[in-house]
Amino acid sequence: MARGLSRRTFLAGTSAAAIGAAGMAGLSGCGGGGDQAAYRARAHPQAEAWKNRIGLAQGGNDPARNVRTAIENLCAKDGVRTFIRQGDVVAVKPNIGWAQVPEMGATVDPAVVAEVVRLCREAGAGTVKVFDNSVGTDTKCYQFSGIETAAREAGAEVFLCQRHRFRTVVFADPRCKRLKEWPIYDDVLTADVLVNIAVAKTHNLSYVTLCMKNLMGTQGGDRGKMHQEIHQNLADLNVTITPTFNILDATRVMIDGGPSGGRKDQIVRADTIVCGTSATTVDCWAADPANLPWPKGHHDLAAVEMVTRGAEASLGTADPAKIEVSA
Amino acid sequence: MAKRKSRRHQLHALRIVSQLVFLGLFIGLLVATALGTAVTARPWLAQLFLITDPLLLVGTTLAGAFSAALLAALAVLGFSFFFPRAYCGWICPLGTSMDIVDKVLFRKRKRTREAAPALRQVKYGLLVVLLVTAVFGLGVFGWFDPICIATRSFAVVVYPIADWAAKTGLVAAEKAGVGPAADVYDWASGAGLFIRDANFKEGSTGIGYLWLAVFAAVLLGIWLAQAYQKRFWCRNLCPLGAMLGLVGSASPFRPRVSDACIACGACRDGCKVGAFQPAADGERYRNLVQEFIVCYACEREFCPVDAIHIGVGRPAPVRPAPRVVPGRRAFLGSAAATVVVAPAMILDQRTREKNETNPKVRPPGALRPDTDFLAVCVRCGACMRVCPTNALHPSGIENGVAGLWTPTFVFNIGYCEYYCGVSAEDVQAGRLDSTANLCGKVCPTGAIRPLTHSEKVAHKIGTAVFNHTRCLPWARGEECLTCEEQCPLPDKAISHRTEDVANLDWLALPESQRNRYEDLQARLADDTLSAAEQQELESMPPKSRLLARPYVLRDRCIGCGTCENVCPLDGPSGVRVERLQTREIHSGGTRRRVQRRSRRGGGGD
Repeated sequence: MARGLSRRTFLAGTSAAAIGAAGMAGLSGCGGGGDQAAYRARAHPQAEAWKNRIGLAQGGNDPARNVRTAIENLCAKDGVRTFIRQGDVVAVKPNIGWAQVPEMGATVDPAVVAEVVRLCREAGAGTVKVFDNSVGTDTKCYQFSGIETAAREAGAEVFLCQRHRFRTVVFADPRCKRLKEWPIYDDVLTADVLVNIAVAKTHNLSYVTLCMKNLMGTQGGDRGKMHQEIHQNLADLNVTITPTFNILDATRVMIDGGPSGGRKDQIVRADTIVCGTSATTVDCWAADPANLPWPKGHHDLAAVEMVTRGAEASLGTADPAKIEVSA
Repeated sequence: MAKRKSRRHQLHALRIVSQLVFLGLFIGLLVATALGTAVTARPWLAQLFLITDPLLLVGTTLAGAFSAALLAALAVLGFSFFFPRAYCGWICPLGTSMDIVDKVLFRKRKRTREAAPALRQVKYGLLVVLLVTAVFGLGVFGWFDPICIATRSFAVVVYPIADWAAKTGLVAAEKAGVGPAADVYDWASGAGLFIRDANFKEGSTGIGYLWLAVFAAVLLGIWLAQAYQKRFWCRNLCPLGAMLGLVGSASPFRPRVSDACIACGACRDGCKVGAFQPAADGERYRNLVQEFIVCYACEREFCPVDAIHIGVGRPAPVRPAPRVVPGRRAFLGSAAATVVVAPAMILDQRTREKNETNPKVRPPGALRPDTDFLAVCVRCGACMRVCPTNALHPSGIENGVAGLWTPTFVFNIGYCEYYCGVSAEDVQAGRLDSTANLCGKVCPTGAIRPLTHSEKVAHKIGTAVFNHTRCLPWARGEECLTCEEQCPLPDKAISHRTEDVANLDWLALPESQRNRYEDLQARLADDTLSAAEQQELESMPPKSRLLARPYVLRDRCIGCGTCENVCPLDGPSGVRVERLQTREIHSGGTRRRVQRRSRRGGGGD
């Protein structure tokens, strides 16, 4: 009556059950986050002294030359050597957020990224990594922006962000008023130097998106939740993840339809590159309707509250009169 | 019972090779399809196994949805006339997978010899039922077609499980410090091998991977039924096998049993599909030509007295075939039963028209009205695997039983990618006349039409609708606009207006404090506040605040679902894509009849 259970049947049954159970567990538990870590990239040696300074290059139609000039205007002839040491691991975080070709101005001009990579390599950086946690379908964004190819040709490692490599960072600084912790990409946390390259665009919620907001590309998790009191959240993020160096690509300024874009008639060429050690100060200058071709009546500087909040956290200045422009 | 000979037929090795090659080709093409690259140039490659499936040709033709690509199936019908079920023995990937499972799990298993011969008739009944249902305009034969089953199982079960296993394994190895694991992960991810990480939301009510379990059960059922009979599915249930067997009934190459037969039964016991049966006189066995899978093992390996001869030539007495094919009455009975069942399915579908969960959010280019789509879609799931954001999934019976396993969007997981089948080079060079929707590219029957980029970005899948009882700015007084930010249209279909709205925090204050606030405000207007009072007022939440609240510009919205996907709410999104209203279908310039005709004319537009 009782039929023996053969070893084969038993093994087949148990392994099928195990695969099934593990599958269910895996599918249900594929959230972000993971182990904790801290941000350790160096601040720029002149971060305090140059807090209110920006380097500016305008004109011409060569964004690569402009980025070089802007950096030299700020850092003198030492350029990126002022913050890059021999053998450094450099994380370059351009805006690769949207699947749009460069002419649409939704992402950083690939020539700017390539030039920064080249400068870092020349300054002796060991590894230069270029990545962004894209907003759109990441493979499409990397391809359409042209940054993947350009940065790789310039000698950078270019990779997609993977969900399991975000580490929870505690926002312990008392200047952080809203955010307690957030998953941040591992390669941002292990880098010696973080270079933040943003593109100048309008934004439907925060009026403009510049360097401070560009740092959202280092974040994982449910970034839509940043949008509740976005200005304070961005200040908190910038307090915790303070880039070594910030570059704003305003070669093309998206004056409407931001931040996703997709229409060439919403782009105005400004052929401007701004850089600085403080994202807040760069943003303060760039958000000022006097400096970039923002449409008339779109916003006034006071409306770009993230700059005010950043200044409150003493990340930079919110007063355009205090900004020292080296052009 | 005589001893088995060890001699193999010359074709034995060739058949094994053929089976493995076709299985490899099948899986290889599906993986290539999943990558979305190989198919970009040659969609027929992605469709190869489906467009050569005669059941799909006959079924869709009966459903009034003939498409020229399916004529490729005539090749299979042609050789089946001579070699009835050679397809089953040499090509069918589902059959090969069964053989592999059988070799691995049941190699030594003794199975019943007298296993219910009447069971064989079921497949003919099923075939009739499915084809009559097709006449009613329901393409449900895909539920049972083996190639559809294999494609669907691969798309919804095998690939996602392999994907999950690879990811989990590589992540574990990476965490354990195995050097190359991270590189392998990056490579696979960069090559597009991995399914894009599903953006599962906590508490989402999407259909998602529910069907993974169901299809896994179907596949395991098909494999494990072999514990009872080898190739249980092929013998008893497969409607495609039934059709091919019927086509080959008069094959001149059938196995013939000569008078030398000693009725030992070795042929029946050895045959993978048991294609032999004792003749009426009991003195010899007869071959069931409709079951003949052309493996030749009976001729050489099984028969101890060389009484079986395959092929034309040697004379052998032909006797009436044993009754494995059901009689006319059974055929008519099945057909008659279906005439009742099919309208019931149609009615069922119509009664669910008003269901809130009725999806009908179909892939871009899906035929309209939905009844047309249901007729032409064969539920093969090819579109589900090729979708670059993993947004297409099998629907349940929300749209009626007949809609089971048809593709629908699950926007909790993915969205319809704006530049789906288009590359950056295409955009820059203005080459936008190639097929832009990968789902339409791989669809074997034209249920999803291929669309060019300009057609695709104008094609309305549905319309986004805000749920004012959930959306953060509408329901909770918090700022958000994530949906508007990420709307991919150049002219965003979501906009916002800034309104002065009651502050919920102020409303939550006790009445005394609210009165105090009003009092201080009144005096602020009179400019009679002391410094302390002014500070007190500033520390209180304002009574109202300016808040940007989103709304949909429905004439722009194409229902791609990006907004629903990115909504930061936990649980159901504050903005959902709902199916189109009839008015919107007509105003959207869908030109449905015209398109239908051009599809019939062969090739998409």
